[in-house]
Amino acid sequence: MIRDITIGQYYSVDSTIHRLDPRVKILGTLAYMISLFTFRDFAGYAVAVLFFALVLALSKVPFSYAARGLKPIFILMAFTAFLNLFWTDGTVFFRVGALAVTWEGLYKMIYISLRLILLVLGSSLMTLTTTPNQLTDGLERIFGPLKVFRVPVHEMAMMMSIALRFIPILIEETNRIMKAQTARGADFESGNLLQRLRNMLPLLIPLFVSAIRRATDLALAMDARCYHGGAGRTKMYPLRYRVNDFVAYGCLVAYIVILRAVVWVCPW
Amino acid sequence: MKGLGSEKMMGESKPKPEKAKLMIDARGVTHEYSRRDAEGNVMGIIQAVDGVDLQVTPGEFVAVLGANGSGKSTLAKHINALLVPTEGTLYVDGKDTGNQENVLAIRQLAGMVFQNPDNQIVSNVVEEDVGFGPENIGVPSEKILERVEESLKSVGMYEYRKQSPNRLSGGQKQRVAIAGIMAMHPRCIVLDEATSMLDPSGRKNVLDTVRKLNREEGITVVLITHYMEEAVEADRIFVMRQGKVALSGTPREVFGKPEILEACRVELPDITKIGLGLRRAGLDIPKVVLTEEELLSCVTGSGAFPEKA
Ligand SMILES: Nc1ncnc2c1ncn2[C@@H]1O[C@H](COP(=O)(O)OP(=O)(O)OP(=O)(O)O)[C@@H](O)[C@H]1O
Ligand SMILES: [Mg+2]
Repeated sequence: MIRDITIGQYYSVDSTIHRLDPRVKILGTLAYMISLFTFRDFAGYAVAVLFFALVLALSKVPFSYAARGLKPIFILMAFTAFLNLFWTDGTVFFRVGALAVTWEGLYKMIYISLRLILLVLGSSLMTLTTTPNQLTDGLERIFGPLKVFRVPVHEMAMMMSIALRFIPILIEETNRIMKAQTARGADFESGNLLQRLRNMLPLLIPLFVSAIRRATDLALAMDARCYHGGAGRTKMYPLRYRVNDFVAYGCLVAYIVILRAVVWVCPW
Repeated sequence: MKGLGSEKMMGESKPKPEKAKLMIDARGVTHEYSRRDAEGNVMGIIQAVDGVDLQVTPGEFVAVLGANGSGKSTLAKHINALLVPTEGTLYVDGKDTGNQENVLAIRQLAGMVFQNPDNQIVSNVVEEDVGFGPENIGVPSEKILERVEESLKSVGMYEYRKQSPNRLSGGQKQRVAIAGIMAMHPRCIVLDEATSMLDPSGRKNVLDTVRKLNREEGITVVLITHYMEEAVEADRIFVMRQGKVALSGTPREVFGKPEILEACRVELPDITKIGLGLRRAGLDIPKVVLTEEELLSCVTGSGAFPEKA
């Protein structure tokens, strides 16, 4: 079940979206995420959902696959929805004991949940259609100018890509250790919060030891393959904007214009 | 003063012609690890490698055997300049590993495959991982693509180029790791127990790949292993014990000295053991039998068993 986390997992298929320059996808996702915070109207959400659906269709990633990214944040979503539903002032339309549900609360719950869902879906789609290497290349290029200020852009990009590579491996390891410790009588399910945290120790300690081991091994393997930082490094697939990328930027601008127009025109 | 350009990779080590003929030339290589306590004071010194002399010619396939802790990995890391000798010198293709300027050239020349398949793959896509080495040494983009294709084909993993390494078997991952090294156009590959985490078929696949590269492309191979069956096919075997080379020679010579091997805590290959057993039982079989075919022909030839029609 922990294996279902799709953030950072590449969905290998050939599509228009997959072939886009990662910079377009990163900046596009960022713009899309920011755009979600600029309105509260349902008409706006209709545009945002439509845009996402369009990109999803173009990407050939099955919806069920992209939606897997939602599972891990489900609790967070339920929690915020719950808070917003019961703790918003306004006209009461429904009462459960001491708790009052207001129209404003209901409205807020719906749009905040929608916003969260779209945020997660949008960023998952980016990582599903972009290999971690492309992602880091993109980030490295976007933030490249910061090197002037001695920001270790290349190193940070490399760290990120390695973290992404090892997420599934460490998750698998967590499952394995969990099973091994359960077989020895460890109990991860019962007890109060404090007890549960304490019970996590036999899981966390071996996990840390193994992660450090892996890190040492990997560092050695990278050294052995002549890795010596970003200086003098070439790229197998150097980033170059193509026609499609400019078209994509155009679509993004169109989306924002349409969104603003719709939000401005429609009252709800 | 002449030939300045062609010799710039040699660093400052005096280029003696006879040195360059050897792929690996270890002279009295010693490596000491100091064990420290919590405050960082030296508690003791372990001589992991102790005065090793070892010469490997280009195109040779050598195996290194030895018990746990005998210093095999430490020695292997010297060949790739991951470690530098605390005493003695080691030349790879005539370049002194102790000279900092040579390090990148040496790592490109002598690749290393490690034990754990997961912990040496850098990228989430097979072909990008294979391209990692060439990217590091600044190969132009189009050339990287060519090299990646060529080396993935040479290990038989070309059709997996777009896949995630997580979906590959251990043996396939190790072949990807080998491709990643081949893409740097090395002349030597060091495999440090590269097959020990694999199942028998994965092991066979990896070993076949290595043998093919050795035979067809003349890549020098240093194979560190605990599997005697893998060592049997080497040109030469080095057996290590407590940091020293205790025994070296062809497989026939080495496996012909069971007493020394026992002292090194190295077993004989199964076939050799069977051969010895049959010999003790009175069959006319030579002291060292290395392959199944050899044993069969001895057994049938000696008339001990009637040949099957
Ligand atoms: N980083 C280190 N720090 C201190 N001591 C070390 C270190 N690495 C290895 N040693 C010690 O050096 C000796 C040789 O270790 P090495 O790993 O080379 O053996 P090995 O022959 O590869 O063994 P194995 O078959 O288990 O892989 C051992 O006694 C080991 O404890
Ligand atoms: Mg070892």
